[in-house]
Amino acid sequence: MRAAKEEAPMSGNLTAMIDVVFQLIIFFVVTTNMQNTVDQRIKLAIAPHGQSISDKPKDPREIKIDLDEKGNIYIAKSSLTPSILTSIVRKAVSEYGVDVPIVIRADGNAQHSAVQTTMNAVTASGIYKIKFAVLKESGSKGKEKGK
Amino acid sequence: MARKSKRTHLVAGELNLTAMIDIAFQLLSFFLMTMKPVDVMALMDVSRPAPDSRAPAKALNVLTITILADEKQPFALNDRVIRIEDLDMMLCKAGELNPDQNVIVACMQKSLHSRLIDALDLCAKAKLTKLSVVSLM
Repeated sequence: MRAAKEEAPMSGNLTAMIDVVFQLIIFFVVTTNMQNTVDQRIKLAIAPHGQSISDKPKDPREIKIDLDEKGNIYIAKSSLTPSILTSIVRKAVSEYGVDVPIVIRADGNAQHSAVQTTMNAVTASGIYKIKFAVLKESGSKGKEKGK
Repeated sequence: MARKSKRTHLVAGELNLTAMIDIAFQLLSFFLMTMKPVDVMALMDVSRPAPDSRAPAKALNVLTITILADEKQPFALNDRVIRIEDLDMMLCKAGELNPDQNVIVACMQKSLHSRLIDALDLCAKAKLTKLSVVSLM
């Protein structure tokens, strides 16, 4: 007499795993920033002792000037000549005064002559306080240049 | 005629989750692969000399760091070429003695911007805050 063997199909409870996977997906969807706000052409120099941007409240009058390795000047990814930069800063100074914060984001491999041109364009408007943007800590290790 | 009673059997419903789990894992792997750690930004405050300022460096007893175009020896302190370790030590001593010490960073035209940032970083490390950047012709 043969005993009939009934093989039950294997089944595992996937509820917990699906729960965790969806939690992770929600986390990534919420934290991912799709818009690339930083100009990838500019590789900032590293300065571990600089004052972190997050320590200070952001000034809405702030003008960020980008300077690439070749010495091209940009504001909001638009290329500018030094004279146009001077006129932009002059207009800001006439509206908000000489304490308008000026941040220069210069590529670490840019020559000082290009930085000087930018600084001169700013000082021509009567602003003598300038901030250099640097990387305090690089998220992508090994990608930085100028070190 | 006898009537047969029909019993309805309720069967537990089964939902095939395979496709959903597949998509969930695809999304998870996409986010894991495309995630990039955030760069922490910082600012370094400097002053530019006003065109009419006549501040002779030696008379005011300021430290002058020169950024040279030579990549092997990029720094000089008060006109003497110096290694970065020695510059760090000297600035730390200066910062301990007088945190209000004026420092002028003079850059040659062909020097790299990253070297200027290195010098400013050493000043920030030494708690020296009165920094001016000038450009050499």
